[in-house]
Amino acid sequence: MMNELERDLFARSIRAALESGHRLALEDALDDTGWYEALTAEPRTAISILFELQGESNAGPSLDAVMAWALDPDDPAPAVVLPPLGRWDAPAERHGDQLVVAGMATERLGRAEIAQVGTWSGGRTEIHTIRTAQLEVRAITGMDPVLGLLAVRGTVEVAPAPGREAGDAWNRSIAFGRLGLSHALVGAARRMLELARAHAIERVQFGRSISSFQAVRHRLSDSLVAIEAAEASLAAAWDLGSGLSASVAKAVAGRSGRLVSRHAQQVLAGMGFTAEHPLHRFVRRTLTLDQLLGAATSLTESVGEQLLRSRTLPAGQPL
Amino acid sequence: MELDEFRESLDAWLASQADALRPNPSGADTLDEQMDQLARVKRATFDAGWMRWGWPERVGGLGGSTLLRAYLGQALTARDLVEPGIYSMIEVLAPTIIDHAPPGLAATMVPRLLRGDETWCQGFSEPGTGSNLASLSCRARRTADGWRVTGQKIWTSLAQYAQRCVLLTRTGPSDSGQAGITALFVDMASPGIVVRPIETMHGQPEFSEVFFDDVPVPLERTLGQIDQGWSVAMDLLPFERSTALWHRGAFLRRRLEGLLDTAPSGSLNAREAGEVYLQLFAFEARSRATQHRLASGEHLGAETSIDKIMVATTEQALFDLVADGLGPDLLTGDDAAGARWRSEYLYSRAATIYGGSIEIQRNIIARRLLGLGDDR
Repeated sequence: MMNELERDLFARSIRAALESGHRLALEDALDDTGWYEALTAEPRTAISILFELQGESNAGPSLDAVMAWALDPDDPAPAVVLPPLGRWDAPAERHGDQLVVAGMATERLGRAEIAQVGTWSGGRTEIHTIRTAQLEVRAITGMDPVLGLLAVRGTVEVAPAPGREAGDAWNRSIAFGRLGLSHALVGAARRMLELARAHAIERVQFGRSISSFQAVRHRLSDSLVAIEAAEASLAAAWDLGSGLSASVAKAVAGRSGRLVSRHAQQVLAGMGFTAEHPLHRFVRRTLTLDQLLGAATSLTESVGEQLLRSRTLPAGQPL
Repeated sequence: MELDEFRESLDAWLASQADALRPNPSGADTLDEQMDQLARVKRATFDAGWMRWGWPERVGGLGGSTLLRAYLGQALTARDLVEPGIYSMIEVLAPTIIDHAPPGLAATMVPRLLRGDETWCQGFSEPGTGSNLASLSCRARRTADGWRVTGQKIWTSLAQYAQRCVLLTRTGPSDSGQAGITALFVDMASPGIVVRPIETMHGQPEFSEVFFDDVPVPLERTLGQIDQGWSVAMDLLPFERSTALWHRGAFLRRRLEGLLDTAPSGSLNAREAGEVYLQLFAFEARSRATQHRLASGEHLGAETSIDKIMVATTEQALFDLVADGLGPDLLTGDDAAGARWRSEYLYSRAATIYGGSIEIQRNIIARRLLGLGDDR
């Protein structure tokens, strides 16, 4: 385990890599800092530091690296096909020796030769490695154009032999992906709160800094409460290590991110509505991160359905 | 003793004592009955040693981590053996006496509280002093051998049962604010004290008005330094917002389980039920981390206002779900279960009021955690 000093150094080198601003540079830099080794040795440290910094700095989250590693730790592909926005089921369906793929990807898939795809096949999940050249890939601009998401579809030939059953690997990949996205949501929310806080202190109206008005103070306080709730839920999800706890953490982080985004926007008022102020990037990103691998609303409903079916609560984390 | 060992052996002991500790099922669930049950459970757990773990040896404890106290309250609440609000007052009052009373007094008094031989109350709020605690005016006048107290307190939990009171008094000029407050440890049997319980919305006369008319208090019953009572109060508040809240979380978990177990099929909305669970999950995670910080000797401060807001909003969300899911039972159920849901629902309305309103908690976060400066 890294000690506090090592963790700090690790975080600083990752921050430097992110500040270099180029995606290819980031991958090299992650290699140099030993991030990929850390992912295997200490996934919690590696994922939490990188994704939170990516959230803070509006960099695209390294979702492929984490999900591919969780799918196949020994031989992770450079990219993965993601489920469409809002969903978490496998994005391909197998019919005989053909895979019908309908999903999404990050910009990484556009640069990779192969990608892994979770596939629904006759009542079970398989993982296939496919050539990206066989896919039809289209850039999505939409709400968050700088994120570089891609729409991915196509029909791909595979060997007729049945693939390995990989439902557990798929679920693990979704769970780790959700933890990463939750850290990115927390990072983005912290940054939005910081932007709103700085503005509230600086901005003077009626002869007073607007941070002295209770209506403003309470929005910012509630934002901090929401962020801390997300952070605590994430820590518990890492400790518990269950798929359910990862989806709860993602739901709390998504909901918190949306709340902070609303409060920060209101406090920043006209300034935060301009394209010159950085806030809009985080508002867009938060909405998108919330939808990736399941939005807070649908995850909450799915957790609730599970509670109503079992008529009991999952065991709490022991003190 | 380590937490794991404590947990295992306490769980085994509680299982073996289940019959002896079970509340008397009259069905009325009055405050008198809750107080009797509390005293019974405290005595049994003290005599068997459990209640003494996590408290310093100089006040009759057996030492060990404060996590042991957190777990004991959780275990008792999760089994419905105590009502957590009245149980957790030890977490608020005992640390205050341990830290601020003369050592001999603490050594005599704290075991009485832990064993359930005595009940203590906390005289803070006044009719003119709610959120603005530093404006209190209950006056303590110096005499040759101590103090004479005259004034009034209100919202004093369990005052009608209490043998002692941790009382905040004005000892400086009336406009001295935080600088002129002194904390006293007052015998409730002293001449000149009148207690009038307040009928409440949820049916349990948990709070009282307390009137002080020239009440004598010996000098050695001063807690901390004269005119430094504000810091005694400030030291107490993080305790009110840490282990006691962990116990409250165990209560909320038990009641959510009870709701899931008994709600008629189709009566609960999945999204709303999931939402309450999310809030509980987040609160438990937050509070657990706070318990560990306390146990490692960290000084708790303003950040416990976050815990307080989380538990209060979770409690209200839970009982709103109860109202939606158990509507008819909650409104008209005339059995013990219906009466209990009703009482708890109504009590939950106060969760964002007592112990520092949610507005005050937000103000604390704004000033102390976000550095937003003064609010005027």
